[in-house]
Amino acid sequence: MEDCQIMLQQKISDKDYMYPGHVACPGCGAAIAMRFALKALGEKTMMVIPACCWGVIAGPYPQTSLKVPILHTAFATAGATASGLRAALDMKEDTETTVVAWAGDGGTFDIGIQALSGAVERNEDFIYVCYDNEAYMNTGVQRSSATPFGSRTTTTPGKDWKRSRKKNITEILAAHRIPYAATASIAFPEDMIQKFNVAKQLKGGTRFLHVFASCPTGWRIPTEISVKIARLAVQTNVFPLYEIKNGIDYRLNYKGDRPVTDYLKVQGRFKHLTDDDIKQIQDMVDEDWELLRRKMENNLVT
Amino acid sequence: MERMKKQNGTEDIPLFISRSNITTEINKTGSWRFARPKYDEKTSPCSAACPAGEDIARIQMLANQESFKEAVHTILIENPFPAVCGRVCFHPCETACNRTGFDEPIAIRCLERFLGDFAIQESMKLPPEKLPENGKSVCIVGAGPAGLAAGYFLTRLGYSCHIFEASSEPGGILRWGIPEYRLPVKILAREIERIKDFGVKINCNVPMSQNFLKETKSRYDAFFIACGYSRSMQMNIPGDQAASDGLEFLRHMRREEITPLTGTAAVVGGGNTAVDIARSLVRLGLNPIIVYRRRKQDMPAFKHEVEMARKEGVKILELFAPIQIEKTGGACFLTLQQMKISGAETSGGRAVVVPDGRVTQLRRVDHVFTAIGAEPTEPWQFPPEQGPETLHLGHCTFAHRDRPLMFGGDLTNPIKSVTDAIASGKQAAMALDAFFKKGWDANADRLAPYRVGSGPALSMESYLKGEHTSRNRHIVSYEEINTDYFSTAARVLSASLAVDESVHSFLETEETYTFDQAVEETYRCFKCGICDSCNNCRIFCPEVAVVFKDSRRVIDLNYCKGCGICVVECPRNAMALEMEI
Ligand SMILES: Cc1ncc(C[n+]2csc(CCOP(=O)(O)OP(=O)(O)O)c2C)c(N)n1
Ligand code: SF4
Ligand SMILES: [Mg+2]
Repeated sequence: MEDCQIMLQQKISDKDYMYPGHVACPGCGAAIAMRFALKALGEKTMMVIPACCWGVIAGPYPQTSLKVPILHTAFATAGATASGLRAALDMKEDTETTVVAWAGDGGTFDIGIQALSGAVERNEDFIYVCYDNEAYMNTGVQRSSATPFGSRTTTTPGKDWKRSRKKNITEILAAHRIPYAATASIAFPEDMIQKFNVAKQLKGGTRFLHVFASCPTGWRIPTEISVKIARLAVQTNVFPLYEIKNGIDYRLNYKGDRPVTDYLKVQGRFKHLTDDDIKQIQDMVDEDWELLRRKMENNLVT
Repeated sequence: MERMKKQNGTEDIPLFISRSNITTEINKTGSWRFARPKYDEKTSPCSAACPAGEDIARIQMLANQESFKEAVHTILIENPFPAVCGRVCFHPCETACNRTGFDEPIAIRCLERFLGDFAIQESMKLPPEKLPENGKSVCIVGAGPAGLAAGYFLTRLGYSCHIFEASSEPGGILRWGIPEYRLPVKILAREIERIKDFGVKINCNVPMSQNFLKETKSRYDAFFIACGYSRSMQMNIPGDQAASDGLEFLRHMRREEITPLTGTAAVVGGGNTAVDIARSLVRLGLNPIIVYRRRKQDMPAFKHEVEMARKEGVKILELFAPIQIEKTGGACFLTLQQMKISGAETSGGRAVVVPDGRVTQLRRVDHVFTAIGAEPTEPWQFPPEQGPETLHLGHCTFAHRDRPLMFGGDLTNPIKSVTDAIASGKQAAMALDAFFKKGWDANADRLAPYRVGSGPALSMESYLKGEHTSRNRHIVSYEEINTDYFSTAARVLSASLAVDESVHSFLETEETYTFDQAVEETYRCFKCGICDSCNNCRIFCPEVAVVFKDSRRVIDLNYCKGCGICVVECPRNAMALEMEI
């Protein structure tokens, strides 16, 4: 297992495809995610964005915050719209442009999953990015199936904090045997940009990227630690960084060694958790990690 | 709307999709902000601990970028002796290093030595920046590290300097008191040569006396007395004339005028001189034992030196003090009194010892050397305790008589080290210049703006720039480092002679870092408090509000919402977040 070097050693492009003046909340991880993604994807990119925070961050009409074209689309339809856009470009014989669906966790794990699964089963030639802030943030922090066990949201308030586990979307996508599925984090820019580069190169099928994007507003954390929290998620193995090629070839990019409590205790959404609850979460994380490790070990591809 | 039929039978369907035509740049989201990030370089603990106030974090950064010349330049502005200090400094910088909290301190001294040797190899000159000549001349008594440093810094400030030295060559303790295996004469000579080239005049073989000062008084605008402690203290015990003066022994060795010795030797004392003598004796083929009245851990000698001495076979007898020497035949019979601890000087400090009843030990050795301390040779060399216009600065004493009379080096320094001597030369130069420019009354605090951290070290760089230091004096703590950006790595060790080799020669025991070693070690350095252009602030900004202007990073406050991510993600605390209103 290669430990991914956290220090920024590679030069990250200074080119930006995003304008300032967008209206994301201060410290928004999703805004950082887009900056990194476009650094790799470049100018020849078309974005499909369904309803989500990014639908707003992209600019109220007639503004845009991106230097690449964006197609705003309905909440459930990112996968279908991206398929259509790809088909249109193919008809125009534009094979150079990368089509990217950019959706939130609600739009991916929940309402958008049928359109996504359909497109992926057809192995449509686009990159699907789920920026995961673990709830429906744009409409006021409602729980989604990406909301982790233990979290409070406005629909899992008080003592009714969420008792079910976070859905493992990356595994669902990998099960479709697509060419590339990977997790990435805004706290690991080099790793993330590298994965977007890989995705961009692997034309011809669906590439799925699950990007962990902190949300200070919804998670009730101070804005300045937004990136730090995202890093802690990786360091505690709450959000492992890994890649899967063709649904079977697993590669782990980072091995965390910190206890989950380091990650949980600094966030308002987990403030109510008791030591027992935290222990339970630690067990879940350990179990998931072990599962992942075994998949790695049993890699069918060597 | 009319549909247009194409020749291939397809139709262009007009798309009634609204299209953006302006960017979000018209939203000045800076108005949301209530906290403002700024670039705010701070002081590294190593710099604050360096008596010479070297800008260590920047030196490390420059060396890391392989800009060795700039790194050397940055040292030389504060200290003209990197090759010397890189060998003999007791490196309080490393003791203060934040990296200790993470794994091991940075080998700062080794890098300084590398850069010092690099400068010699490249025949680099001292940085040319000088204030215009002001027509004033200063007489400096003693060409040791303090006198040489004062001459160097005063010359930089526009003074003409004459150094007078009683012995045949400049260097003081560096020339006559430190053995070759720790500081080769060649290296010292090159660094002194550089100071001469800079315009400092050194006159050797001029015996120093009060008379000399009287006679020359009218020729100079000020005096700096830094003649050091050159007379060994006496044991004052029966038979002590049978013991040899340790400093004298070291002087002879430096002159290569040593008569062959054999057998066993006792070295009385616990300081660096005692260790230098013992290690030299080993090299001459003797079996030395250091006799020290307190405990080993109380020895004022540098720990590393004591350790090396032990490795080379020097024995240490602690808690014994000589009370009598009898010389019979060729041998000396040393009566040693057992000492016991009666208290501590401070909590955790050196032990206070008293004789332990009548317990004594008789030891037969062939030679006895004393190294129990030194003192000035004549009364005029003592700085005045007080007086109407007498100022005790951290590293020197400033007495304003009919003309400024300053005392420095070992005469005034609480810590008698080479680097403190250099610090005293710098402090004297700056204090004198401030006096000539602003008068006596502007005293004490006039140097405060040029302090490194909380002082006492001073920055010549900021003094020359006349800036009231651009560096925030806050000393960066370990907790303020974002250690997520660093991974543990072992300290790079410089090569050294094997013990069985080192004990047979006066060759340097330690080697200088290689190019690769130097660069590798600088990667470990946090570069506490200074911007090394890692670009994190720009990379992580969700607002694309960190922009380059004239190749410098600036925060575009039109858009910055004040989230503070840049400040937290700065690995080295070179930024700060300030509340607005
Ligand atoms: C069919 C439909 N139902 C509900 C909405 C309202 N809506 C807009 S954005 C959003 C939440 C999106 O959540 P997520 O996909 O996680 O993105 P986030 O806002 O968290 O970035 C909802 C429920 C909608 N636009 N369309
Ligand atoms: S609510 Fe969260 S995800 Fe949405 S813009 Fe604000 S910080 Fe970003
Ligand atoms: Mg969401």
